[in-house]
Amino acid sequence: MRWMRQLSAEVEETAEVVGGKAHGLVVLHRLGLPVPAAFVVTTEACRAFLRDGRLPDGLEDELAAAITGFDVVSVRSGAAVSMPGMMNTILDVKLTSADVARSAVESVFSSWKAPRARTYRELHDIPHDLGTAVIVQKMVFGDHDEHSGTGVAFSRDPNTGAHVPFGDVLFGHRGEDVVSGRSQPFPLRALADREPLVWTGLLDALSRAEAHYRDACHVEFTYQSGELWLLQVRPGGFTGAAAVRVATELAEEGVIDQREALLRVSPHHLQHVRTPRIAPEATVAFRGLGACPGVATGRVAITADAAVRMAADGPVVLVRPETSPHDMRGLAAATGIVTARGGPASHAAVVARAMGKPAVVGVGELVLSEGTLVTIDGTSGEVVLGEPRVVMSTAEAHLHRLLHWADEVSGDHSERDEVHRLRAAHAVLRR
Amino acid sequence: MSGPDLLVLHALRCVGTAGLTRLAATTGLGEPDVESELIDLAVAGLVTRDAEFGVWSLTGPGRAAGVKRITDELDSAAARPAVIAAFDGFLVLNPELLDLCTAWQIRSVDGVTIANDHGDPSYDTRVLDRFADFHGRATVVCTDLSAALPRFGRYRIRLAEALERTRAGDLAELADSTSSYHVVWAELHEDLLVTLGIPR
Repeated sequence: MRWMRQLSAEVEETAEVVGGKAHGLVVLHRLGLPVPAAFVVTTEACRAFLRDGRLPDGLEDELAAAITGFDVVSVRSGAAVSMPGMMNTILDVKLTSADVARSAVESVFSSWKAPRARTYRELHDIPHDLGTAVIVQKMVFGDHDEHSGTGVAFSRDPNTGAHVPFGDVLFGHRGEDVVSGRSQPFPLRALADREPLVWTGLLDALSRAEAHYRDACHVEFTYQSGELWLLQVRPGGFTGAAAVRVATELAEEGVIDQREALLRVSPHHLQHVRTPRIAPEATVAFRGLGACPGVATGRVAITADAAVRMAADGPVVLVRPETSPHDMRGLAAATGIVTARGGPASHAAVVARAMGKPAVVGVGELVLSEGTLVTIDGTSGEVVLGEPRVVMSTAEAHLHRLLHWADEVSGDHSERDEVHRLRAAHAVLRR
Repeated sequence: MSGPDLLVLHALRCVGTAGLTRLAATTGLGEPDVESELIDLAVAGLVTRDAEFGVWSLTGPGRAAGVKRITDELDSAAARPAVIAAFDGFLVLNPELLDLCTAWQIRSVDGVTIANDHGDPSYDTRVLDRFADFHGRATVVCTDLSAALPRFGRYRIRLAEALERTRAGDLAELADSTSSYHVVWAELHEDLLVTLGIPR
């Protein structure tokens, strides 16, 4: 096939041709892990589409041949560089004819040109002519029956870097039900009791993926009628204290050497190492996305007016479905902000950062009555009842060891700040 | 043309409880004029003042009067289809505006998200260039809106001014200050919802 590839362990092209997401699926195939049947339309076909304003000759015939045997599919974008949320994803596409497949692929290709996607590329230095691949994949259903579900699983805890599996699972639902607030996820660990075979399969997958990438990874998964399927894998992405801890421990486990561990920690990670955090032993009541780092403790106010009123008697955490201009006074009065909806680029997130206040967004449906004492962590997105212990760093000991290696590499053991010690080691290693 | 009393009444519906400074910025009226309108509205039982915080808010009847007068204005100008079309255009632009504000506040370096300390002029220029491009498209929506209902013209002016202040070196005027582009944009969002009677 000229413009497409059937996804399998045999695909040899790089992420530049098949996109990062499809390349991850090829890796999963090579690791012998279960991936729903899929084919990918290459970035080359997208570039032809962008250049000529139509799909390249021959692609339609290839699509018509490839869809035999597929009934219901997802059609997703997947560029060589991740552009989360910028392009179209179409779920539940019933492939009744080649025409349906063609228009779905065209729709994803066209979304490359949307002004928002264009802005994103400008901001992130991504060439406009790169193009995206399109993955057409057999759908698996997390809402199929009581032995179905979906989730995200990390090989290590992204909040601390601790070597324990971490993530969310949604029983009997699809992933998009979390976003819409129709269903609440459970901590990943809950799978162990409810679906022991899926749990074991998932642990095996995480450990194989980690061994392949020699780094912490996470996967998106769905299981249908007790059968596990992996939909995406991605290495790395940990920041701050978690990045320090993972790099240090991987070196101590012998997975990477000390030099590589040093190179994996950017001096920028050190800026975040000492951001105050809720101590790891606390019980998390709700979890969303951290939108502005820092810890805030206060009594819950559920309206802006209440926040202003209550702030006279002590710190307040403003809890809103989402925020609007009505909330500005409340946001100004509050010490921390929680929203049920929205992401790191929402009104609440932008205002929280403007005001320098810890914020957690996209928590989903949350039941908190006014006056309840809560503590929020704007790094991890955790909401904890009461006033848990707060730590200034979750990786102090690891950082100490890592910087000791740094001094050995640079040969400089004088008193300097941490960023300089790391930079000196990087300078030697990059020579 | 909406009278100043309606502008003030409507502003309280759009921004909630507020003081004179904010209402003046939103309506484009001077603070003494805003206060004068508020006093008349209070006599009519439509607004009330919180003496402790020095802020004004709508009463129940004030909210009902706001709904009726804004709906009447929309229908008597036969502006509903045009406002709905402009709102559709707004919703396409909204996520991009939030992306741009976020990029102005934080950036990714070596895969790490850090605060944008505005120490890298080339990065700031890149964001501002995209902002200018965005503003061109936002202006189209604002122009359509003010053609349908003149009171919307205020947003185009406020947005353009915020961008201009940023270009002149006041870096908080894009996403961070209470008069920033982001704040004005969010007020426009709320105004469209309120005007069309769409719940959040």
